[in-house]
Amino acid sequence: MDSTARYARQLLFWGEEKQRQIGESTLLIAGVGGLGATVSQLLARAGIGKLYLVDDGLLDLPDLNRQTLYGEQDLGKKKVHIAAERLACINSTLKISVLDQHIDDSFQVPDDVDAVADCLDNFTTRFALYKATVPGTFFVHGGLNGANGQVLTLKKGASQSLETIFAGARQPQGKIPVTPDNVVVIAGLMTNELFHLLWDKPKLLNRFLIVGFDDFHTAFLEV
Amino acid sequence: MVKVQFYSLIRLLLKTESLLVPWAPDDRVHHILHKAQKAVSTPFLHKLLDEQGALHPGTIILINRHNILHLDKLQSVVRDDDLVALFPPGAGG
Repeated sequence: MDSTARYARQLLFWGEEKQRQIGESTLLIAGVGGLGATVSQLLARAGIGKLYLVDDGLLDLPDLNRQTLYGEQDLGKKKVHIAAERLACINSTLKISVLDQHIDDSFQVPDDVDAVADCLDNFTTRFALYKATVPGTFFVHGGLNGANGQVLTLKKGASQSLETIFAGARQPQGKIPVTPDNVVVIAGLMTNELFHLLWDKPKLLNRFLIVGFDDFHTAFLEV
Repeated sequence: MVKVQFYSLIRLLLKTESLLVPWAPDDRVHHILHKAQKAVSTPFLHKLLDEQGALHPGTIILINRHNILHLDKLQSVVRDDDLVALFPPGAGG
């Protein structure tokens, strides 16, 4: 397939060198749910070189409102395998490694990962993911609750740890409200930041971007 | 003066992004929070503290980028010109 033609519209914007950097990069997507399905899809469409997809969940009916890689025919199936199939259909040049496993203290981020995308939905697993991240690796966190979301980039070993920053945060007992529009925006912002850090110019290193969808408010918070 | 910044749901509740409160020697973060509540028209400390005055989980409180749970919690020292941030992050994805 003609990659110049394929990526013509984005090459007009960011040029060949940045496209090359994207194509030579390897990212780990932790969680292929609301955030991860869109982040991985956007990266595949942009021509990322390789993705590790980590998830052990099954597709459930309430997932369909926002998890953009899946349809009704996928209900009850392992999301990570469906995600890999769909991403391969979107871009056959993408290398995909499926890690069908739960992220806990035994998990280890592979050495060839350039950056980790935290697309998870609870703090306990996020903290385990951060601990498993290789020092020196960029870590892009995303999270949301209803009409509020945040994105933050850390560099393992140089930044404060995720657990240090989020100490005192609360994991709600029940389900967290998440709408399709808001989760896609946060996923898009995460993807934008992933591109920037692949070009060695992260915009949110040690800095939250906090988005309020009720009034389209954005704010930064240094950490 | 100490700048207190409100984020996310707390900003929406208070309809303000930040305010300045006067600083006094020996101020701890709980003093600053009470001063901030006096300065706004809407009570918010019940979102942060339980009836005994201990911290609720849910909102992270930072003094100059550092979470007070790693300092001296509500007894953390606040200095003149410090920045206190209140942020309840979203956990979902």
